[in-house]
Amino acid sequence: MKFAIALHSPAHAPSSRRALLFAKAALAQGHEIVRLFFYQDGVHSASGNVVSPQDESDTAAQWRDFVTTHQLDGVVCIAAALRRGVLNAEEAERYSRPAANLPAPWELSGLGQLHDAVQAADRLICFGGP
Amino acid sequence: MATLHVLSHSPFTDSRLSSCLRVLGSEDAILLCGDATYALRADTATAQTLSAKTGGLKLFVLDEDATARHIALPDWAEGVDYAGFVALSVHYDKVNTWL
Repeated sequence: MKFAIALHSPAHAPSSRRALLFAKAALAQGHEIVRLFFYQDGVHSASGNVVSPQDESDTAAQWRDFVTTHQLDGVVCIAAALRRGVLNAEEAERYSRPAANLPAPWELSGLGQLHDAVQAADRLICFGGP
Repeated sequence: MATLHVLSHSPFTDSRLSSCLRVLGSEDAILLCGDATYALRADTATAQTLSAKTGGLKLFVLDEDATARHIALPDWAEGVDYAGFVALSVHYDKVNTWL
């Protein structure tokens, strides 16, 4: 079965970890994840500048590893990201900001990518809140 | 169309659970995770409301979130792990998360 997963919460929210464990379990059962869409505060999970306390799990890094390892399509909503200061090099230059903090494997794109993923997938699963 | 309703907010801070119960279809089910598992705390109004509906209500709970909060599952609720969560999302036609 094909899943599209939308994440609305930052890496320090329990729901971000829940989304990650769900995604891992889905792949472990042989399902396909057509796209991971990071929306609203979920864009913080893609920031390369998140520093977790040493005695806590680094969910942002785990997302990065997961997407890289499985070569998944990790899309970050561009409007939500710009609003929250999550920029790739191109956007940092466009808006004359001092730094970029969106490393690979993340891609900035529009909300249309969520719509497209929902069309391609059998299920849309959203994670957010606490 | 059978829907799995996923809740993660505590039922003691907002009305998501009561709203969910109001719109719940006869084929639908609920999955409690995160702070929503507090709904099963013994001797609370929410636990009583849920237990009164057990005839028709299919109620699932994310095991590790209940365990983390030291909430014992009543016999009318079924615990699932993440593999079970995925299986539920396959079984039901839609998954509606009460964000």
